[in-house]
Amino acid sequence: MDDYLIGVLSNIGVLSFLALSAYLLLLTGEISFGQQAFFAIGGYAAGVATALWGWSLTAALVWGAATGAAAAVLVGVPTLRLHGLYFAIATLAFAEMVRLLFELFHYQIRIAGEWVGPDGSDGFRNIRYIFENDVGPVQFLVLIYGLLAAAVAGFMLLERSHLGVSFRMIGEDEVLAEMHGVAVARYKVLAAGLAGAIAGIGGGLYAHLTTYIEPRIFDVMLGVHSLAYGLIGGLGTAFGPLLGVLIDIGVLESIRTLAGYRMIVFGGLVAVLLIFRPRGLLDEIVVHQIGRAWRRVWGWIWRSA
Amino acid sequence: MTGAGRFQLFAALAFAVCFAGALHAAEVRAKADVTCQPTGTPLQYDCTIRLLHARTNEPLSDVALTVGANMPSMPLAHNVRPVKATVGTAPGTHEARIELEMLGDWALRLDLTGKVRDRVVKVLRFERDSVGPATAAAKPPSQHKH
Repeated sequence: MDDYLIGVLSNIGVLSFLALSAYLLLLTGEISFGQQAFFAIGGYAAGVATALWGWSLTAALVWGAATGAAAAVLVGVPTLRLHGLYFAIATLAFAEMVRLLFELFHYQIRIAGEWVGPDGSDGFRNIRYIFENDVGPVQFLVLIYGLLAAAVAGFMLLERSHLGVSFRMIGEDEVLAEMHGVAVARYKVLAAGLAGAIAGIGGGLYAHLTTYIEPRIFDVMLGVHSLAYGLIGGLGTAFGPLLGVLIDIGVLESIRTLAGYRMIVFGGLVAVLLIFRPRGLLDEIVVHQIGRAWRRVWGWIWRSA
Repeated sequence: MTGAGRFQLFAALAFAVCFAGALHAAEVRAKADVTCQPTGTPLQYDCTIRLLHARTNEPLSDVALTVGANMPSMPLAHNVRPVKATVGTAPGTHEARIELEMLGDWALRLDLTGKVRDRVVKVLRFERDSVGPATAAAKPPSQHKH
């Protein structure tokens, strides 16, 4: 497989974690412009763990997820009373605060004659775990998609669980959900923590994929994209945000001949799509229709056999 | 097993998981000196890359180099398809022509394969008539070392 194609597929896989993170909060009815902060925290945490502390990649990703989740809970608790635009602005403010903190964050140690570690606005380079441990591009791609498959499987179980139903009830009407005995505050904080963990894993994978991260990468545009993935792909299923990432990266790659105007064309396409499909491509109605069609086909196959 | 015994077993497993990755085989680390010049065609630059052994500063030979680039502020929206660099005349040097999408700070990604497998990232500021250190890199070196 061409190295460039592997790189594009790897980017799609890593960004899917960010998309799923924003999608989980969208299920509870909250629009977060701040998931890139947990992506960043996970990336820096996992990078420090392997590059400076010599941890294994597994432990580093777990550490990235834990720090992302902890940060998300720290934000989730004080913003419980905020909704809609106010919640969106609060998460955006938090994300910018995190980005600016990383501009000031210096933590370097001398390894083999070189200073290694986050160096403020100069970034964090030499996150070389995949080179030091001879992890090839295809192997890392398999790791990314293996973890992504596990995350999607988790979402599919969640959608069918009491917790998933509670999340959607909260997303539809918090007051009604509370009246039905759903512990709204506790579940919203739980959703925030899970979303932070998912973004943290994605950030850890991104840091090791690119070997270099800096605060500018985790700016507001990444947060806007993370929301756009769910809005484009659809909010009816966890596959919606993944479809959104595929469309985003796929369209951007296919219109490369437009060079610097790609984002303008892409923005226009997104605007047109949202006019005609406000809930995205895989909205709840489409998902229901696909499910019904699948059950019919499966029933026909079963009867034929 | 007692509670203390379970804790010790857990601590030993956690230690093993954390430090399993620390048993690295010795490997060659690369560093690079990059100079780029505008070609006269807008947004097109010729770059000369000198690859060196990070510890001994000896030129690295017998490596294939691929040069890609993306904008740090929008890495997924603005990136350049990687190009294969040609071997230069001086030891350890390679040359590549890149075409960017706009002026500004770009992170050049130098992927080494062959005798040495490594990646070096260099952030440079690409102007119309010159190329220099990136905006952030132009600041004084960090004093916060541990």
